[in-house]
Amino acid sequence: MMGVFLLVKIGWRNLWRSPGGTLLTALALGLGLTFVLISLGLLDGSHEQMVRNRVRFGTGHVVIQAEGYQRTGSPELLLPAGIVPKTEAYLRADAKQLVSHGVSPRLLASGLLTSAANSDGVRIMGVIPKEERAVSLIPERMVEGSYLTDDQLSGVVIGAALARKLAVKVGGKVVLMIQGVQPSGTDTTDAGKGEMQSALLRVSGIFRTGVQAVDAHVVQMPLSEAQALLGAPDRITQVALLLEWEGDSVAVAQGLRKQLTDVPVEILSWREAMPSLAQIFLLEEGFNLVMNGVVLAMVGLGILNTILMRVLQRRYEFGLCLALGLRPGQLAVMVIGESLALTAISLALGLVIGLSVEHYLATWGLDLRWFFQSSLPASLVFDPILYSRLSLPRIVSSVGIVFLTAITISLYPALKAARTELAGALKLA
Amino acid sequence: MTRLEHDVAEWAVELTDVTKTYRKGPIAVPALRGISLRIAPGEFLAIAGSSGSGKTTLLNIIGGLERADGGNVLVEGKNLQHLSSGDLARLRLRRLGFIFQAYNLLPVLTALENAEFILLLQGVPAKERKERVRKLFAEIGLVSLENRRPGELSGGQQQRVAVARAVVAQPALILADEPTANLDSVTAAALLDVMGQLNRTHGTTFVYATHDPQVMERARRLIRLHDGHIASDEARAGHAP
Repeated sequence: MMGVFLLVKIGWRNLWRSPGGTLLTALALGLGLTFVLISLGLLDGSHEQMVRNRVRFGTGHVVIQAEGYQRTGSPELLLPAGIVPKTEAYLRADAKQLVSHGVSPRLLASGLLTSAANSDGVRIMGVIPKEERAVSLIPERMVEGSYLTDDQLSGVVIGAALARKLAVKVGGKVVLMIQGVQPSGTDTTDAGKGEMQSALLRVSGIFRTGVQAVDAHVVQMPLSEAQALLGAPDRITQVALLLEWEGDSVAVAQGLRKQLTDVPVEILSWREAMPSLAQIFLLEEGFNLVMNGVVLAMVGLGILNTILMRVLQRRYEFGLCLALGLRPGQLAVMVIGESLALTAISLALGLVIGLSVEHYLATWGLDLRWFFQSSLPASLVFDPILYSRLSLPRIVSSVGIVFLTAITISLYPALKAARTELAGALKLA
Repeated sequence: MTRLEHDVAEWAVELTDVTKTYRKGPIAVPALRGISLRIAPGEFLAIAGSSGSGKTTLLNIIGGLERADGGNVLVEGKNLQHLSSGDLARLRLRRLGFIFQAYNLLPVLTALENAEFILLLQGVPAKERKERVRKLFAEIGLVSLENRRPGELSGGQQQRVAVARAVVAQPALILADEPTANLDSVTAAALLDVMGQLNRTHGTTFVYATHDPQVMERARRLIRLHDGHIASDEARAGHAP
């Protein structure tokens, strides 16, 4: 053990025989770690932003809906509105109140919206305006008029593309035609169930999200109005939950599955509700992994060259050590010890530089508006300022990968040192 | 007792018909051509000869730094030809000491650390290591230099540290290859005084490979090599070291 301590001490001091070279090598490896940390931070940050944006145009981070709705999309699959307070009660409990941002019940249906000029098929979302504001981005993307209010009993907001097609403006009248639903498990004798219903509505606002499917087809109206039209009082299609942190979505979904057992529901995280988006992220992570691998390989080769040169320059010393009774394995330990010390310095540099830059990017963001310049659309799907978001597991795994890379790289020079030919090395004095 | 901590042998070194040939491409260069000799414990012996006569090769073979091509090499009764690399390393660590011509010390260690290097590898506790090294440093005039690194020491001081490192572990045999080659005559004489004193007081066997007349003059036995043969082997009253 004492011998190992001595060997590591020799390795450490050897590093400082040429401080400039050591610092330069450490900086190269440190910058490799910096690159990995920044790219992962921006990747995770952009994913979080994209998820936040996409889920806010869609199902939220977690969605509760009637069992089978994800697969069939059947408007008949409805939930009792009483599920909302149960969900809220679960989210209010203990520490979970910190993870929740909003809970919005929605009634979804398809219908036909007609103006004096035109008509088009639409996706109807009956919402409670106050709750929807906490979950959806649509209220924030109003370009004309205003969003729905809680004391408003009628009226709709529609997308800009739909408004253009129907040639309607704020204050204009539209007729919504919709087929009443027959919610499963309800009395089939109820009047109006399954029959065509229509309502004359006034456009109170127009939104532009930048997502064509939303702008051309989504119509939002008060939940009570939608329930009356569809003939489904106290019924909703889904409850959309927006969380503070996307990473909690799986845990919250699992918790809710245990909690809401009295109704046949499916509770999906956004990855399950929007599998295509999850796949895009997986692809991006794979690409990022390859990029980081290339960077680490390049930096690693540079370090291999440096350590190998140091080993070759010290053949006489290694010969001397062997002559004095050091075993080849101990020489290898000495070189690995030197590499460990170099790696420790590199990691410290990389963490200081990487986390400093990451902190800046997390606070101020990376402004990409200069990149888009004039091609920047009026209404963006994404935020052009990317904010870094780096979690502790990401930092630990990055440091671990760089550490393992450096140690793996040092094995060859260590082997080279261990194979020093004794008599030949001593002649180099 | 390990296999290397053997019974006291009659001879410190016993060589029988030792040969060694180097190959430089297709050319064979014989360095030793059937060397036989015996060295008794406590001898103060010099091997002299012109460059290329085989002095260093002979020393390397006795020290287990190189293997002979033929013959037997016995150090304290153990045949080095039959020892593994690991056993040779252990033998060097436990029973042999080396002093080379120059650049003998590890540049990143202080004089004290260099001198205790072998003791540390042997697992001697720190307190005992320091005591032994400091006692020896006091004997050879290195007390005030223990925290200096080799680059801050003169050639003579460096060689004295190397001698201390070789002696402090109390090996049976010290092999010194041209230890005075880079020293002026006064410094060389002082170093030889130190080694002579250690030979007398500790009974350590010293074998030198040298060109230096001062070393030859002080040796109690002088072997001259010529083209890989022993040209002469004479006991000398010499100048008692």
